[in-house]
Amino acid sequence: MSARANALSMPVDDTAIEKLVDEAIAAAPDCLRRRIILPAIDWSEVSPSKVAVLLSTLAQSRLAVPRWLSKLLLLAGHALPEDVEPTLTPGLVALNRINCAGGASQQREALSGMLPGLCADEQLEGDVATILVQKFAALGWDAEAARLALAQQHRVPGILKRVGKALGAHIERLPNVRLRLTGSSTTQTLADEFKPAFAAKGWRADVMQADFGTMLADLMRPAEDADAHIVLLDLEGFAAQDWRRPAADAFALLTERANNLAAALREFSTRSQAPLLINTIPVPAAPTAGFLDRSHTMGLRRAVDLINRHILDTADQSNHIIVIDADQALADLPVREQSDSKLWYYGRIAYSADAARMLARAFADAWSVLKCGPAKVLAVDFDNTLWGGVYGDDGVEALACGEDFPGNAFRALQAECLRLRQQGLLLVALSKNNPDAITAFQRHAGMLLQPDDFAASAINWEPKPENIRRVAAELNLGLESFVFLDDSPHEREAMRRLCPEVSVPEMPADPAERPLWLRRLTSTWPLRLTAEDETRAALYAARREAQNAKAGAVNFEDYLNGLEQRLAVSLVSKKTLPRVVQMHQRTNQFNLTTLRSTEADISALIESEARGMALVGRVRDKFGDHGLVVTATVEITGTEAVVQSLLMSCRVIGREIERAFLGALIEELKRRGVTRVSGDYIATRKNAMVKDFYASCGWQPAGGDEARSGWVFNIGDMESPQSRFVALDWEA
Amino acid sequence: MDARSPTVLSYPELVAIFADIFQYTDTLTAETSPDDVATWDSLQHIALIRTLEMTYSIRLSMDEMMEIRSVGDIENVLRRHGV
Repeated sequence: MSARANALSMPVDDTAIEKLVDEAIAAAPDCLRRRIILPAIDWSEVSPSKVAVLLSTLAQSRLAVPRWLSKLLLLAGHALPEDVEPTLTPGLVALNRINCAGGASQQREALSGMLPGLCADEQLEGDVATILVQKFAALGWDAEAARLALAQQHRVPGILKRVGKALGAHIERLPNVRLRLTGSSTTQTLADEFKPAFAAKGWRADVMQADFGTMLADLMRPAEDADAHIVLLDLEGFAAQDWRRPAADAFALLTERANNLAAALREFSTRSQAPLLINTIPVPAAPTAGFLDRSHTMGLRRAVDLINRHILDTADQSNHIIVIDADQALADLPVREQSDSKLWYYGRIAYSADAARMLARAFADAWSVLKCGPAKVLAVDFDNTLWGGVYGDDGVEALACGEDFPGNAFRALQAECLRLRQQGLLLVALSKNNPDAITAFQRHAGMLLQPDDFAASAINWEPKPENIRRVAAELNLGLESFVFLDDSPHEREAMRRLCPEVSVPEMPADPAERPLWLRRLTSTWPLRLTAEDETRAALYAARREAQNAKAGAVNFEDYLNGLEQRLAVSLVSKKTLPRVVQMHQRTNQFNLTTLRSTEADISALIESEARGMALVGRVRDKFGDHGLVVTATVEITGTEAVVQSLLMSCRVIGREIERAFLGALIEELKRRGVTRVSGDYIATRKNAMVKDFYASCGWQPAGGDEARSGWVFNIGDMESPQSRFVALDWEA
Repeated sequence: MDARSPTVLSYPELVAIFADIFQYTDTLTAETSPDDVATWDSLQHIALIRTLEMTYSIRLSMDEMMEIRSVGDIENVLRRHGV
């Protein structure tokens, strides 16, 4: 016997350990505060009655069970009281339900409601997912175990092993897809990953691998019995560098290789009607021409760009070649972990195990979109999805949506909706509200979407699954082409339960994460954009090129001229007041007096036209709407006026907006019979940029010092400031 | 004691790993090698290396990948990594 084995076989003194655990539980409140001892205990060895003592000790000290402790207890198989659940992640809630019930059949039904959410949860912790699968399998809930493991396998390595034998049986029952796989290096590891990746999308992948090194031949003589052809490309296997050749020769050779690949792809598309999925070559892990890698012919990155360009151009000409962007597919993996050098040297395996798993997933995603078609309808909720806040409770003015935090995150999601609309998706409004909620898009200045952007709407208090069925009938589209976005987990669960055909992704709880999340939602990715989209894009591109050619070397004035800026000036109203007050509170740099006026101050000013006025300006240019960005308040006494505050958001600084706005302000004062305007510059630590603003607009100095200088403008005698780069509109 | 004792494994997890990767369920000893395990070929060797790296949170080198020719070799490598 070895010494180690001896040590292991020695009996452990259970009573001593138990005493230690008892004492730790008695001292739980102090241990918890310092986060000591409790994390080290193996809770699966501790009896439920002792865990109950622990929980009541904490309750007596009025200490909430922190999530880390809940997680340790749940992973160890203990049940927690229901009142802890609100602090838990969905995965831990599911685990708690299982620990509580111990496999009762009605529990299985309840959990199957949670299952799609857990499957789609990109934040589900790996250890929790693994334990859940293990428990499902142990309870004999094979379907649940297989579904969760397959859905999470791209994030949680090893989770498939927990399903056990049931996995094979589950996959065996799926409809099959015959995949012909070829590549520029060893394809075996990718082939292995295809089984789980395609099963996660509901397909059984039967993979036929081409012989090593036969990629081009295989493309030009495509196998006939394949539903899809897959090409796994890598740089080293496709075009290894030969440094004995002069760089120019080597590059010519590389170009020839790329041409050969393109020719083989073209040959494929004339000979086969089956789709072909090919990946681009990802960014190289290290350059061969250092700083020049992307520009010089010796650079790997330049070689990669060249090959990828050939692939993309060829795919553009064909209607059944789909290109997988490897950089996108591998984006969550650092470049140096995308390959494992020892595997390359061992067996010409170009991608690491993690990378192969991610690529397999990308191929399976593309196949799935190809087979089922991309989504056709985006059905969206209103409250706390398209805007922050609740229309019915808060009123339209209080809804968060616009240029400023946090409304800008909601506005960004609206922009994504418009993007998808432009790519051919129909938008459907699906909101539990009174029907007039649709008017919020017109009545709230920050909204990007407008009521007529929606192809259909169901805004009422009926259940959303019923509404979506009605809309689907109205649009004459199947539910399987719908994607449903809703911030409420309950609405999502109800939709999944009652309309399982609808795709219901787990939208992140944080509105800031949603716009990018929506971009990554592969079910909305277009395979082709329609000819109309393409001609329109081409038209824009041609016009832009013509403009560039005309401009030649573009200077700053040309730039300003080309912006097509419009400044719409209006008197501050009830509607714009909150934004004006917010600007007064927040603006530091372009702010002449840094007067922090409140809502009451400005309200008083706008109520009496004789004694003062408040102006606000909205800026639009050809790139979009910048919103309300410039404002001023003025006190008027007879023919004299004093500018109390004048400030502008930094996002439009340096574009002569300020000049045009001051001109508009003077015009309005003139109209009201004012002949002389004065204003101060009050220095702060942050507003040095406007020290000379009045001077630059032609105003005369009127005393003062560095800290506070006075300026005057005689209307009539002096030329009013204006800008030829800003078109001015007055709005009522 | 001889570390290559035919009956005692220092790393009992290997039994499950071998069952999993090679479907090998016979008794595992330090001497067990590709000669005994029909499916332990050069391709499945990669799966073995990958599983060892994942199970023990280590990273094996090219030399170690070559060095492993038996269960005893695996145990030596694991011991060297302080597992």
